[in-house]
Amino acid sequence: MLARKHYNPDSVLAAHTAVSAALGFLVTLIWGLTGAGYFWPVWVWFGLAIPLAIDFSWWYSRQFEGRREWLALHMSLTAVASAALIMIWALSGGGAFWPGIPVICLLGLVVCHLFISENWDRLFKSGREKVLTERVDQLTRTRQGTLEAQAAQLRQVERDLHDGAQSRLVALSMQLARAEAKLDDQPEAAKLVRQARAEAGEAIAELRDLARGIAPPVLADRGLAEAARSLGTRNPGGVTIESTLERRPPPIIETGAYFVIAESLTNAAKHAPGVPVTVSLAEGDGQLNIVIKDEGPGGADPKGNGLTGLLHRVEALDGRMGINSPPGEGTVIRVDLPCE
Amino acid sequence: MRVVIVEDQALLREGIIALLRENGVEVVGQAEDAPGLLRLIAGHKPDLAIVDVRLPPTFTDEGIRAAIEARERHPGLGILILSQYVEPVYTSELLAGGSGGVGYLLKERVADIPAFLDAIGRVSEGGTALDREVVAELVRGRTDDNSLDELTPRESEVLSLMAEGKTNSGIAEALVVTPGAVEKHISNIFSKLDLPTTGADHRRVLAVLRFFQSDS
Repeated sequence: MLARKHYNPDSVLAAHTAVSAALGFLVTLIWGLTGAGYFWPVWVWFGLAIPLAIDFSWWYSRQFEGRREWLALHMSLTAVASAALIMIWALSGGGAFWPGIPVICLLGLVVCHLFISENWDRLFKSGREKVLTERVDQLTRTRQGTLEAQAAQLRQVERDLHDGAQSRLVALSMQLARAEAKLDDQPEAAKLVRQARAEAGEAIAELRDLARGIAPPVLADRGLAEAARSLGTRNPGGVTIESTLERRPPPIIETGAYFVIAESLTNAAKHAPGVPVTVSLAEGDGQLNIVIKDEGPGGADPKGNGLTGLLHRVEALDGRMGINSPPGEGTVIRVDLPCE
Repeated sequence: MRVVIVEDQALLREGIIALLRENGVEVVGQAEDAPGLLRLIAGHKPDLAIVDVRLPPTFTDEGIRAAIEARERHPGLGILILSQYVEPVYTSELLAGGSGGVGYLLKERVADIPAFLDAIGRVSEGGTALDREVVAELVRGRTDDNSLDELTPRESEVLSLMAEGKTNSGIAEALVVTPGAVEKHISNIFSKLDLPTTGADHRRVLAVLRFFQSDS
């Protein structure tokens, strides 16, 4: 597909049409100037129209993919050939309709092609292969469901930590503080209470780190772009966020994308300290596209720990990742995550 | 000092109210959600509002949004955010607009009663009280600035304490040095960071904050 993008099929067809029309007009003009005898330009028109029709068939079939592309090409070429035969019959004065049999044969071939194309799996795939295809489809579906359920559960755990254990510990340490204030005359008891308060404080801090590791509150509150901005405030080189997202991706993808950005910014800060980073977020073709670009020294090792960890994260979400990091030219990491 | 408090969890709200009352702070109103904050302020004209970040109905950031709105509508009102986490985006937004005292503390800091009362006092008088975690986040985003590298470790410590909102004597106490030594550190910080010196305590804190914010 990539090789075809070197030229634009639309403009090729347009140019071809324009040249054919000009030539057709020119020969008609010549015919008129030379006395307008037997109308021979019709054969020139005919000669010009056939390549143009073939070009059009090719252009039309490109709108389909895989086996359908070939089927579409076959059908349109059959139409061109049948039309050409009937034209020749008509231009040569009619008579017995000899194109009938060849046209029926050509149509028969198309019907065969159509039948094979539509029943490809049944005809050419073995039973085992069919079972495997179904199984892969099913696994892909259920894996997605599992991941989504897991993401929802984790967010619930985060909320429960915040509203439950964390709040109770804060209330507990507050009560301990009040108790401590009332124990001025019992220094030993006051000391024990103070130690208990310190323990509660440690527990609160640990729970906060735990909750943050699941998903930071700003991600749930305001979405990916703001959460990325928040991450950016920690990078000394400065981080620019460019987002064209119009809706929020599903939680699993949003959280995954957040950690992809977090790890990429950590990598950037480590290998290109103090260098500005740009993070672009966009959605298109059912994919969430994340591009993280820095102007650092480049030459990132795709097999290094940082990038391998990132790749595993992306693959777990059925995503794709590309790295471009020529030495001396900065690093671009591109991640696409499925986002239906 | 007249205080209102907006916190959806009854256990915490009542704990804070009891703690404040025991220490002679007048709590004139309480509410459970963001609209309640604006109602309380309009009704009671408090000096200070203590606000949680996550409030009903969505339990996201409506506390911060309501606090920012209250700061804009009621110049001179002190706002102290109590949260279970530090979020740089929220602190920057809070510090960016409005006049009047402002603070952002982690909830567990309430358990250090003298420091909490000190913070409440400062914010209600137009000063600032930032959690040391907030300051750490703000400083982390600024380490590219070479002028910060010029600070000695002791000067960095003094700067962090300044940003938390501490007075000279508070800093001297925390670092166990004389107030004279603190003043000397501060004038060194001002000259190294190229900040205008001023007499008023909280204005210098605002200057420090502007310095932090200029990057974000």
